[in-house]
Parts: sequence; C-alpha cells; structure tokens
Amino acid sequence: MNLQEYISSGIIESYVMGLASESERAEFDQLCTQYPELVAARRDFEEKLEKYASENAEIPPSTVKVKVLEAIGNSPSRKTSSPNSPKIINMENSSSSARGSGGLRFIAAASVILLVVLAWFAYQSYTQNADLKNKNAALEAKFNSTDSILKQIIEEQKIVKDPNVTVVNMVGTQTAPKSSANIYWDSTSSNVFLVVKNMPKLPSDQQYQLWALIDNKPKDLGVFDATDEKVILKMKNTQKAQAFAITIEQKGGSPSPTLQKMQSLGKTTQTQ
Amino acid sequence: MGIPITYTEQELVLALKERDNQAFNFLYDNYAGALYSIIKQIITDNGELASDVLQEVFINIWRKIETYDQTKGRLFTWMLNIARNASIDTLRSKSYQNSQKNQELPDNVYKSVANQTILMNVDNIGLKKVLEKLKAEHRVLVELAYFKGFTHEEISEMMGIPLGTVKTRIRNALLQLREYLQ
Repeated sequence: MNLQEYISSGIIESYVMGLASESERAEFDQLCTQYPELVAARRDFEEKLEKYASENAEIPPSTVKVKVLEAIGNSPSRKTSSPNSPKIINMENSSSSARGSGGLRFIAAASVILLVVLAWFAYQSYTQNADLKNKNAALEAKFNSTDSILKQIIEEQKIVKDPNVTVVNMVGTQTAPKSSANIYWDSTSSNVFLVVKNMPKLPSDQQYQLWALIDNKPKDLGVFDATDEKVILKMKNTQKAQAFAITIEQKGGSPSPTLQKMQSLGKTTQTQ
Repeated sequence: MGIPITYTEQELVLALKERDNQAFNFLYDNYAGALYSIIKQIITDNGELASDVLQEVFINIWRKIETYDQTKGRLFTWMLNIARNASIDTLRSKSYQNSQKNQELPDNVYKSVANQTILMNVDNIGLKKVLEKLKAEHRVLVELAYFKGFTHEEISEMMGIPLGTVKTRIRNALLQLREYLQ
C-alpha cells in the first residue's frame, strides 16, 4: 500500500477524533506497529489537536475539582488494593469501636467502683450504727446506775433533812470498837434506815443483823451485808426502840440476837 | 519540597498509574479546561450538566488509567475521547431527552437533527470555530459525526447521502480541519 496516500487520506484524523470504524481502527493500529512514520503523523495531529484544545480551554467551575478529588479520595489506591499489601485497618471504625468498648469498660469500672463505695458506706453505717447502739446502751446503763445512785442520794438527803427523822449514832462495842453505823428512824412513819459507816467484811456464811431493843427485848429489823457500805438500807419498821444493836449472825439472820457478838449499839432518846 | 511543577507525558502517565494524587492534581489543572470546552461544545445548552460530565470524566480517567495504552495515542487524545463519549452519552440519555421539552419528535429524528444542525451555527467555540471555515456540506457532517456522535451509517440515512460519500466528506473535512489547526 502507499503509506503517504494512507496518511493523507484523513484516517489519522478520523482515528484520533474517534470517528473511525472498528475495522478502520484495527487496521490503523496494525499499521502503526509497522510504520513509525504513521505513528509520527498521528502524533503530529494529536499534538496540534491538544494545543488547539488547550488554547480554547474554558475554565470549569471550581466545585468540579473539589468533587472529583473527594470522589477519588474514597477510591482505594493501587498500592493498598494489591494482595500483598497489609490489610487496611479502617481507623475510624476501629477507633470508634475502641471508643465504644472503652466507654463500656469505663461504665463497668465506674459500676464496680460505685458498688465498692456503696458497700463501704453500708458497712460504715452498719458498724457506726452498731457502735452507736453499744454506746447508747452503755450510756443508758451508766445513766440508769447514776440515776439510781442519785435517787438514793436524794432519798438519803430527804431522810437526813427530815425533821421527823431521828439519827441514832451507833458506836462499836468492845468486841468491834471500829464498827459504826447510823440509824435514821422516822418516828412518825416507823421507817428505819441504816447507813453503814464502817463494818468489817464478813465470811460468806455470816451476815449482820439489826435489832431494835424494846423494853429490853430484841426485835429483828433485818439482815445486811457490809458491802452495802455508805448506802442507805431500808430496814424493817419499828415504832418503838430504846436502842438499836447490830450483831453478827448466821446468814439469813437469827430469831434472837447472839449478844456475845454484838458489834454496835446505839441508844435512842426514847424511854421505856 | 521536590514536588515536580511539571511532568513529561511519560512521567505523568507512570505517576497516574501509580495512583499519585499530585500527578492527578496536575492532570486536572492542565486539562480540565480543554476537556470542559469540548464537553460544552457537545452539551451546548446546560452548563451545570456539562460540569457534571466533566466531573464524571475525571473520575473515569482516574479509575480507567490502567486501560490507557500509550501505543495507541497520546494521553490527551485518550481523555478527549472519554470526554466526548461521556458527553454524547449524556446527550442521548433519556433524562436529557426528556429535559428538552420543546423538542419536536418527528417521524424522522435524524432528518430533524440534521436540519437543526445546519441552522445552528451560532456562538461557536473551540473546534466549532474551526468548523465555521469549512464548507457547509462538510461542516454539517463533522458536526453530526463528532459533536452529535452519529455513525456514518446514521448520517448517510439522515442526510440521504451514500455511506461512501459521507465517509469521504468527513475525511476531507477533517483534513481541512487539520490545516486550520496549524
């Protein structure tokens, strides 16, 4: 074939501008591999066309480039899509999932901490409560004992200050010179109170016994222990008594006094 | 820092095939205008649509760069054909056709388009400016073939001219066009 005729036939322009048919294109491609002149002629027209198109360019809206770059930014690049390349970790997803589990972990940790704190508070308030109860009970007991003592003191004071009460000072006998006690005797009500001042402690099978001596006959006024020291003891009533006496008797007292063991004796102002 | 301001075509193609964003930026900045111009010469009545096509074209260039074969032509030629094909596809799409509401739908669509094309030589830009210098009978054929995307067979039928004549006239028109590009 005549190459020059072929080149000037318009096939080059037709081919380059996309107006050649399939068969024309195939023939042209084939001939290009054989004739460098044909390739050069094609290239010449392509360059002219490109130059002309560039000179007659029209600036597109700037938004187009933004959209294009946005679109291709999302497309995977060749390097990362190759099978040998490391697996792509979606940072957004992995970080968001980490954030998610982090949040869960935080909530779980917070729950545990809250539980511990609540348990500690519960334990604290329980022990505090128990402690307060104990203290309260102790205070109550202390108050009760103090109150009873106070009442006894008040009672004692009443007796002491009562104008109707006669105080009988009992002094030790020869067998027990240090023994001493006071009898508060209300002559109107016949109440007899004993305040032990100093009485030796007795064996557990023995007790002191108070007697009233009426017309030289003893009358039992009850037994008491030495431990009840300084506390007013209410004894049995008696309307009459010329004297009071304390003897040591067997525990529980005796029907008649063992006079040999008389510890203390006090005479009243009452006469026979 | 070491970013090339310009590429040779060889470098540019290699960089694009390596998915180099910098190269793609260069490509866009250097060719978007030329391609936008050709798109607007095909989609003449809707600038927004032409922008959409340009966007689609560059996305396709990025995606299809693997298929570009340097032995068959320059990069620009390849891109120009992508732009032209995309424009013609848009022009022929149903949605575009429906948007042309006042367009008559005669029995012979081809003849109608041909008649419109003959009358429509106003406000020509780009390559169409060169077409103005061609004889009317040549100009119409190039217009129909290149800017409307009709096949030689379709043009032959539209214009009532034998296929061989269509082919010869188009070739002659393109040769003249080449002369004007000098």
